[in-house]
Amino acid sequence: MSGRHIMTAEEIRRATIRISHEIVEKQAGTSGLALVGIQRRGVPLARRIAASIAENESVDVPVGALDITFYRDDLSLVAQQPVVKGTDLPFDLNGSTIVLVDDVLYTGRTIRAAMDALVDFGRPQAIRLAVLVDRGHRELPIRADHVGKNVPTSREEIVRVHLAEIDDEDAVLIDRVEVREPEAEPVA
Amino acid sequence: MTDLDISRAWLVDPAAGREGPGDIVVRDGVLESVVWLEGEDASGVDDRGVIVAPGFVDLHAHFREPGNEDAETIATGMAAAAHGGFTTVCVMPNTAPALDDPAVLARVAAAREASSSPIRVLAFGSVSAGRGGETLAALGELADAGVIGFSDDGSPVTSGPLLRNALAYAGALGLPIVEHPEDAALTAGAEMSDGFVATVLGLRGWPAAAEEAAVARDLALLADVVRDVPAARLHLTHVSTAGALELVRRAKAAGLPVTCDVTPHHLALTDEWVAGSRRWAWEASGNPWDDGAITDAPYSSALRVNPPLRSVADAAACREALLDGTADAVASDHAPHTPVDKDVEFGLAANGISGIETALGVLLAAVDAGLVSLGQAVEALTVGPARVIGSAWGADQQPGLVEGSPADLVVFDRSESWTVTAQTLASKGKNTPLLGRALSGRVLATIAAGRLVYEAGAD
Amino acid sequence: MTVPPAAEISTPADDAPVVVPSVDAAPETQAVAWRHRHLLDLDVVSWPEIELVMRTTDAMREVLERPIAKVPALRGRNVTILFYEASTRTRVSFEVAAKNLSADVVNIAAATSSVSKGESLVDTVRTVEALGAELLVIRHAVSGAPYLAAETFSGSVINGGDGWHAHPTQALLDLYTMRAHLPGGSVEGRKVVILGDVLHSRVARSNIWSLTAAGADLWLCGPATLLRGFEAWAGRGAAAGRRFHVTSSVDEALRDADVVMALRIQRERMASGLLPSLREYAARYGLSAARLALARPGALVMHPGPMNEGVEISPDVAAGTQSLITEQVTNGVAVRMALLYLLAGTRPGDAA
Repeated sequence: MSGRHIMTAEEIRRATIRISHEIVEKQAGTSGLALVGIQRRGVPLARRIAASIAENESVDVPVGALDITFYRDDLSLVAQQPVVKGTDLPFDLNGSTIVLVDDVLYTGRTIRAAMDALVDFGRPQAIRLAVLVDRGHRELPIRADHVGKNVPTSREEIVRVHLAEIDDEDAVLIDRVEVREPEAEPVA
Repeated sequence: MTDLDISRAWLVDPAAGREGPGDIVVRDGVLESVVWLEGEDASGVDDRGVIVAPGFVDLHAHFREPGNEDAETIATGMAAAAHGGFTTVCVMPNTAPALDDPAVLARVAAAREASSSPIRVLAFGSVSAGRGGETLAALGELADAGVIGFSDDGSPVTSGPLLRNALAYAGALGLPIVEHPEDAALTAGAEMSDGFVATVLGLRGWPAAAEEAAVARDLALLADVVRDVPAARLHLTHVSTAGALELVRRAKAAGLPVTCDVTPHHLALTDEWVAGSRRWAWEASGNPWDDGAITDAPYSSALRVNPPLRSVADAAACREALLDGTADAVASDHAPHTPVDKDVEFGLAANGISGIETALGVLLAAVDAGLVSLGQAVEALTVGPARVIGSAWGADQQPGLVEGSPADLVVFDRSESWTVTAQTLASKGKNTPLLGRALSGRVLATIAAGRLVYEAGAD
Repeated sequence: MTVPPAAEISTPADDAPVVVPSVDAAPETQAVAWRHRHLLDLDVVSWPEIELVMRTTDAMREVLERPIAKVPALRGRNVTILFYEASTRTRVSFEVAAKNLSADVVNIAAATSSVSKGESLVDTVRTVEALGAELLVIRHAVSGAPYLAAETFSGSVINGGDGWHAHPTQALLDLYTMRAHLPGGSVEGRKVVILGDVLHSRVARSNIWSLTAAGADLWLCGPATLLRGFEAWAGRGAAAGRRFHVTSSVDEALRDADVVMALRIQRERMASGLLPSLREYAARYGLSAARLALARPGALVMHPGPMNEGVEISPDVAAGTQSLITEQVTNGVAVRMALLYLLAGTRPGDAA
């Protein structure tokens, strides 16, 4: 597909490692930590971060997956993206520090929905946010604790993250949005 | 009184058994001249444009007055008849009170007078008192008061002995019994024709056997009565099944004095319409789910009618009966209903289709499809019914285009169509499954007893 | 505070019920979207759309397993349940489903409402719409009534059962239940038997549409009087390639069956002369352990409920190890949650 590369595979790898160090640094260790990837691409990212932490700290931090389909505030998207990819949180959230992981941070609505979902499962002690790309244009007062790359964008652009686990390559691309109906834009 | 000149139209005179290009002139309500064109003058005129025929005769209509004037009055019924090209209508006695004595007949006559329309409204008296099916109505008095026959229509005469007595008594009066053939025990709770569509839609089926069994019984009783009362006559109305029509065919061949009519909706629509299909019977396969025929929502209550719309084979049998004379006439069974009675769940809706204005258009669809000739269609709406009415018809001759007689005509254009809507229907009854459909054969003018009763306006 | 050891995202074992889908395996190509404004019957629902409902139901099953079995998907939306026919289980099932989606629920039992004073269906639907109903679940004793409601109502109508005609949510939960227990998660080629009063059964009719779409080897079985009209449907298939079998021989029907679904016999059938007695029905068609033994070992036993134990199904079979009857109820809530969710996402321009 067309689009400019704004992160190469190597840049993604380094950013992921740096984020994993920052997470441990902020927590002053790994105790109480759990990573929760937001479907869909937040999940492999969360796994990679956990793998990096395991390499450096020799600790396996729990990893979960969170699908926010039922927590969106816009039902008109149901027709476009009706089905869920699955929520699996195989650990106790109560008292833990959850680091939400997502590929792109945009308006902040996905993160708001993710927090709504999380609190239905238990009461974490703290929730933090790690994203690969922050493209600005927040509509809610949400900020990421850990950012791979800040990319200023305009609303006519679209940022796509490709991860080998899903897309056969690692890359972050930016492209112009084709003139389409609003519901075609991704929820981010 | 009307004046009308029409030249180079296609004239149909079923009494004379003649049709072809011609001119007609009406002066002061009299059909002054009928000129049949020959040779050069006739070229360029065919039977696909303007047609002139005798005013149509409807053997079977419900005008709801007295008792249910919200659904239709005699006046609105006559307006609807005129729009449909009918100049004579025979109304059924299932009013409230039933037309079982001359006092009620007088109310009908009064309403007819008050409308000041020249359309002829003839009435059937009921067979039984109050249409209760137990004792005979005042048949003699009704005959004296001018009814053209007797019927408990809406219901069959369930009691065999009562029907036998009625056939004898009416026969002696020279009038027919018009029977609605239905075995009520077999049709209890029934909603639509028994068959594949009813099974899929989960509706209680109306077995064909219910009509065939009733017809068989009625014919057996007629055969019995005719031995003592040779003038006895039976007319079976709205026959709808192949089986029943075959029984009538054989009875006629055996010389029994029986006649019957079929409705336009039974020869052109089928039970698959209830599933949401909207194709004519001759285009239908019987399985609307298989070939993408479903275009409308199912369970339209405008399709709930007694007898129900039947199978493709039954509709074909109705057309066949018209062609071979087993069916003597097409009658509309015009049954207007209010929205209160129709805009409800299918199983709770009243039975009946408002059909007097669409009868011609539906019949012409069959003519367009090459299944019935124009001449046969006009016969079925004119001389056919007049023959059934028989001596009670009153006129000296069968409906035709006879110079010097009071003009009684319908003029319609096969090349023009009109759309059936609540606004274009003159009847109060908008309960027809043909709403929204365009029918060809737009009526341009209807003249009854020399007066113009309908003229196509801006509709 | 100790944290449990790292757990990989669990993937379901090959033969376990497919409840939580594997997060990696789910294809991105969600080409099918639910585009029907109403759910009145399954005759117009395509097989890909049925599969979409199945996948969404999987997600709803997962929600039901959570400590708080609730999601805010339908928050602020009004679901009105209008039942003209008495029913506790289906009515409550819809109510629970709507509440699990955080919807506002209005539950109307027609016997106690103005309907019993003679208000027409059209007027009642207009009234509930004026009171804010956006999704209307309707059950009615007259076949076709939901279609009349759908003509009048500007939101979405779900048919909760109409006369003898259709019970689409039941057929979908039946299909879901079968797939959860059949090897490979599919009913294709499997012998599924519906046993009982087929003539009067909306459950049977809706299951015919869904099971023939799924490619099952479907058999309908019962006394001849209760199968009237179905031979014609079976032979024709009511759509290309969707044939099924009809027989009054219970032995032929049950032989090697993979799934047996028993239908309730009502007392009224004796009064209308369709059956000699319940005892005779139980003896000749009742699903006893002996009859079940004709089916494949481990064949699934199902019943839409409520049951007449001892008539169409014996108590030991109903409570036995092969019985999925209570699971059908749980799946019913999940399927109805899925359908409410999918229908809430449709827009006025969508096809009926």
